[in-house]
Amino acid sequence: MQTQPYPEDGRRPAQNNHAASANSLMVADCGSVFTKVSLFGLVEGQYRLLARGEAPTTLSAPSEDITAGIIQAITLIEHITGRRLVAEKRIISPEQVTGDGVDVFIATISAGGPLRLVALGAVSPALGALAEQAISGLYAEMQAIPAPSFVATTAAPVSVPAGGPVSSPGGQWTQDRFAMEWERQLSLMRELQPQAALIVGMADAPAGPNSLQEACQLLMQAARERNEQYAASVSAGIPTQDSATKQFSVIYAGAPQYIDAVHTMLQGVADVTRVDSLTSPAQLGPISAAVGALHERNVIQHIPGYDHLRAWSSAAPVATATSLSSLVRFLAQHYAMNVTAIDVGGSTTTIMAAGEQGEFIPLVNSGIGVGSGLGAVLQQVGLRNIARWLPFSVTEEEIRQFVLNRMLHPHIIPGNARELQICQAFAREAMTMTMEAAKNSVAMWPETDLVLATGGILAHTPKYSQVALMLLDALQPRGVTSLVLDKTMLITQLGALATVAPITAVQVNENDAVTHRLGTCVIPFGGLQPGQLAVRVGVEYSNGRQLSVDVMAGSIEVIPLRLNEQALLTLFPAPTVDVGLGPGERARAAEEIDGGLVGLIIDARGRPLVLPTDETERQARLLQWAQALGA
Amino acid sequence: MTYSSGWSVMEQTLVRRERWPGGYTVKGTPLVRPGQEVLADQPVLRLERSQQASGALPQMDEGARESNNGIVVQTETVPAGLRGRVVDITRRGGVVIEGRAAVVRGSIGVGKQIAGVLTMWQSGKMGRAASIPAGALLVVPGPVNFAFLHQALLSNIRGMIASSIELRDLEGFLRTDLISLLASADLARVQDSLPPLTLCLTEGLGTLMMPVHVTNMLSQYQGALALLSGTTSLRHEIFPDLLISLPEQGAQTDWQPVQPDLAFVVGARVRICGGEYEGKTGVINYFFKHQQVFSSGLRERAALLRSEDGSNLVVPLALLARIG
Repeated sequence: MQTQPYPEDGRRPAQNNHAASANSLMVADCGSVFTKVSLFGLVEGQYRLLARGEAPTTLSAPSEDITAGIIQAITLIEHITGRRLVAEKRIISPEQVTGDGVDVFIATISAGGPLRLVALGAVSPALGALAEQAISGLYAEMQAIPAPSFVATTAAPVSVPAGGPVSSPGGQWTQDRFAMEWERQLSLMRELQPQAALIVGMADAPAGPNSLQEACQLLMQAARERNEQYAASVSAGIPTQDSATKQFSVIYAGAPQYIDAVHTMLQGVADVTRVDSLTSPAQLGPISAAVGALHERNVIQHIPGYDHLRAWSSAAPVATATSLSSLVRFLAQHYAMNVTAIDVGGSTTTIMAAGEQGEFIPLVNSGIGVGSGLGAVLQQVGLRNIARWLPFSVTEEEIRQFVLNRMLHPHIIPGNARELQICQAFAREAMTMTMEAAKNSVAMWPETDLVLATGGILAHTPKYSQVALMLLDALQPRGVTSLVLDKTMLITQLGALATVAPITAVQVNENDAVTHRLGTCVIPFGGLQPGQLAVRVGVEYSNGRQLSVDVMAGSIEVIPLRLNEQALLTLFPAPTVDVGLGPGERARAAEEIDGGLVGLIIDARGRPLVLPTDETERQARLLQWAQALGA
Repeated sequence: MTYSSGWSVMEQTLVRRERWPGGYTVKGTPLVRPGQEVLADQPVLRLERSQQASGALPQMDEGARESNNGIVVQTETVPAGLRGRVVDITRRGGVVIEGRAAVVRGSIGVGKQIAGVLTMWQSGKMGRAASIPAGALLVVPGPVNFAFLHQALLSNIRGMIASSIELRDLEGFLRTDLISLLASADLARVQDSLPPLTLCLTEGLGTLMMPVHVTNMLSQYQGALALLSGTTSLRHEIFPDLLISLPEQGAQTDWQPVQPDLAFVVGARVRICGGEYEGKTGVINYFFKHQQVFSSGLRERAALLRSEDGSNLVVPLALLARIG
């Protein structure tokens, strides 16, 4: 398996000969809510998944040690396999002659929250967008706080608010206006509590070097306030991983001639890393690598119990998103197709699209998820967008109470079908938001050939058809695509595994990770007329049997094509309807398509998917679609 | 509902807390020094808060004086709330105390750290000033509502430990959006805008009663001075808690802190924290080798419980929290 360079330190971990020849390997994926541990071993000469265990992640009290949750999950594997893997709260390694223990242990981490970053200086909308793009594949969230001088120079004249004049007649900012803006920015720094800053801006930008100077002054003032708070937290034994370091970490991507001045101003306040000045997409790589390294240093390494975890591991624990990106890129090249992976977690939703030519679009949507991230989803999309996916009526209070209880106790599973459907509605919106953000970050989104879905809410969904419907509703692919569910939640682990044991990763991927194929989907789009024929589907099964199905616009149909069955497909779209080759163009697959756990799905509901506005009709339509898929 | 990883109650453990009930605008002067042993009712900190005379100052216990330039300065002396040893003074003047205590962790709460006398609520007593000492920490084993909280505020009750509350009542009382409140990073600013009643809910939102073992423990310490914090922050992983200093005889040489063991084992006492049996407690009798199907349709690893009412329940492991 080919893996991407590790952005945390810009270096790929040295391959471990011991790991490459290991009999048994164990990987822990520590999410914000659950820790998943997988045990791999040789079965008839091939590496296979032997067992997996899951337990709540234990970052908070009373354990406050990430290894406690890992040990709980391993205890479950011990129960399943009968092997002893842990003794005296340590992993037994290497594997013993009795079969106890494992040769290799590694970990991936998405717990601990994102790195909180502010972009300071002459942050124009264009530079802000570039900076966002640089961190899009990392556990990091960024807010731009352009320097007051820069804002004053570039902003349109402001209206005079009540309480006094803030700008002179010509629209120039007065001292009062500057003071107000300065106070607003300090207040924002208090609210955001950033761990790091990215300073951008060239000497010839509006306001010139003043922007850089003000960026440094803001950091200095915020550092003074934060140090007082930090000192209090450390002494009091309050969890401090959130305010991880005494100093800010600053990535300087501004005008090169001012780097010495910035170093001098921020001495004792921030450690400054210089990268190429950010002026165009060509400089994104170094910034991405620097932010990745900061996440590792300021978040991952400050997770309670990290030292224990590191001592157990054959390689440094890596961010789960980094591990996933390795696998997605590998799959795109290995299968020579466009692959989109979606991972819905408790506090993060991730989409990664990779093409066979090396294209790669990652989007880690920190704070959006189906655990503690539910609140952010509700706040951003509103009740109406959640309720639109539910085939029953809900009140705002029911949803808000549900959200708060899940935020406080994210490890609790839905207790009944109603709660499960509400969870799935939130998952749809989390995926939709992330997909839209990813599409907005690029000029053209590639049509996907394969959708690979992972994360607890999807992997644990009772019916495969429910997963298929959620993916179709949220991602709204077009043309012909395949849906695969990573039910064993391995794909986030395999990229990291490949860095120490590539053969194991490849074999496990083939044998166990992408085995739950839901089916091939045909999604006609374009001018679908409600109630009219959208597409006629001709299916020629491998055994010679033939079938022709008319699918009407607004409906969704499943044509039987089970797992391990193949068929030749011919599509006859209506004149205004497109199946990927242009309106009305007939399509005949050159190769047989594969079946799946759900079957061959024809989604003729239209793109974009529009739900009826009438509540009764909408609920009836949702039930009808679910029934058609057997969901 | 219990703490996310179980163990909502620890009957004896070692805790360390900064005694700091203020915010950004408060000046603290410590009255003790590191290494000093302090009693729970001993004053350890003097707080001073200044504001222009025209502004409304948050309520403080002691007198206010107005200086020549129209600034009103209010002062308050803060008791330790926790018996133990002073281990540090923080830069803002907070006093860090380490001591042996019983801990009740809440599911959700609001409000600043406050010390007070634990007082069990008895039906009908609300509003009778003589029956509830001013500044008491009121323990209510059942759900509370908006009217109850409002009445408590009028009765000068500073803190309350209750089982649960409906969301609309809590948001109505706080006049704030709870989702934003829990996600906020700036805790000091947020706390300043809330009513001066510290609240700790052991079960969270809804109408659940407090578990019997929690009520029993709190009854045992009725009349003791305790330290309550309602601060809840998902971002900072901070949850509300009540600390009750262990009595002298409990702090002798044979004292051992409880080591919370999270692992599920046969014989462990657990509480069901969701689903149709929410709130029930029992003992694990058996673990199923294979996943079981539940009413939501989910397949989950599960245990067979012998509940306290004698019934056998099949419950997903994800809904269990160890309580002992």
